[in-house]
Amino acid sequence: MKSPTALEELIEALRCLPGVGPKSAQRIAYHLLQYDKTGAERLAQSLHGALQSIRRCAKCNSFTELELCALCGSPRRDSSQLCVVETPGDLLMMEQTLAYHGLYFVLMGRLSPLDGIGPREIGLDVMQRRLADGEVKEVIVATNFTNEGEATAHYISEMLKDRDLRVTRIARGVPVGGELEYVDTGTLAQAFVERRLL
Amino acid sequence: MVERTRQESREAFILHGYPYRETSLLLETFTRTFGRVSMVARGARSPRSPLRGVLLAFQPLALSWFGKGELRTLARAEWVGGQPLLHGEALMCGFYLNELLLRLLPREDPHDALFTRYWETLRRLVPHGNSAPALRSFERALLKELGYAMALERDGASGRAIDPAKTYRYDPERGPIEVEDAGPEPRVSGRALLDMGRDDYADPQTQQQAKALMRTLINHRLDYQPLKSRQIFRDLLAL
Ligand SMILES: [Zn+2]
Repeated sequence: MKSPTALEELIEALRCLPGVGPKSAQRIAYHLLQYDKTGAERLAQSLHGALQSIRRCAKCNSFTELELCALCGSPRRDSSQLCVVETPGDLLMMEQTLAYHGLYFVLMGRLSPLDGIGPREIGLDVMQRRLADGEVKEVIVATNFTNEGEATAHYISEMLKDRDLRVTRIARGVPVGGELEYVDTGTLAQAFVERRLL
Repeated sequence: MVERTRQESREAFILHGYPYRETSLLLETFTRTFGRVSMVARGARSPRSPLRGVLLAFQPLALSWFGKGELRTLARAEWVGGQPLLHGEALMCGFYLNELLLRLLPREDPHDALFTRYWETLRRLVPHGNSAPALRSFERALLKELGYAMALERDGASGRAIDPAKTYRYDPERGPIEVEDAGPEPRVSGRALLDMGRDDYADPQTQQQAKALMRTLINHRLDYQPLKSRQIFRDLLAL
């Protein structure tokens, strides 16, 4: 069997990008080689650099170049609250709300019993050690409202039930400005189940 | 028989979804009319897909699909409702039920009665408390549907009626066989066998023996390949 040429190797490598199939990989490879060698050079270097310098924050498990990320290191954050999210993208969304001033823990996934993804695979043991500092008084579970996100929330509440901690779950329901007529039935049904006293 | 390639609004549950291609989902479904059917939900993982809030496991849905062969294409999914979302322990039990169906039910083999039973079992699962009777009764119904109905009234060797005061081992092929000594397989009292026959799990000893027995029988049917969803129960217990 012949070994792949550098071009074949590049096309194959590009396929690891989300949304890139064989056709697109080929197109990107030709584009870079033909029209944008500088861009390709920069991409190669920044990719290499990122892989060398980016690691997991010792406190929140998210990406950082330092021992602690900027958020965990900030004296302005309320260290009595810890919000648990599935991905760094979810963390960014929470930050955009400007409603939360505490710290985070990023699971980089969620429990999925049918896929064999258990508590260790998503670093819940790391989170438990993280909570040992005694500063956190409330854990806010902001995992997704999927069955897997709910399973993760259940596991976390069981894991923390004997600790002197408040464990809360973000609320779900009809979107702000949402008209009932256009809300999906499942959301509306659950908003009804979880209705609150006025 | 001409194969009908398009199905409209068929009662179904999603057992599990796997990422498929860039934005699609590969759904393993349990339908009332056709049993387990696999289908692709195109674009279901894209951020604005209206399917996102609908394609949930443990929820009764009305699915429409088309295509032939092993893999169909989902055309439409409608929310049926009436089944609260599972949470807490009930959710963990739900994963277990789904894995049992994924592993034991052959594809495209209709099981109307089991479908009804599955739905009823989902309703019996409780977030905090004892879901064991519901699980045991479903496991027994599942084995029966697969053609391995349990013998719970007669000794498989002697043919005598089960004696509540005696002890038995359970041979997967022959049924309960009276024994006097301990052994590698779980021992079950005659009383527990008779209770199981009536789906009566009020007695704690029956509950415990039924659990061990059903586990052995299900492992046997799974050729001793472990169930992934059992790990989460072990992890929770170890907390
Ligand atoms: Zn951090």
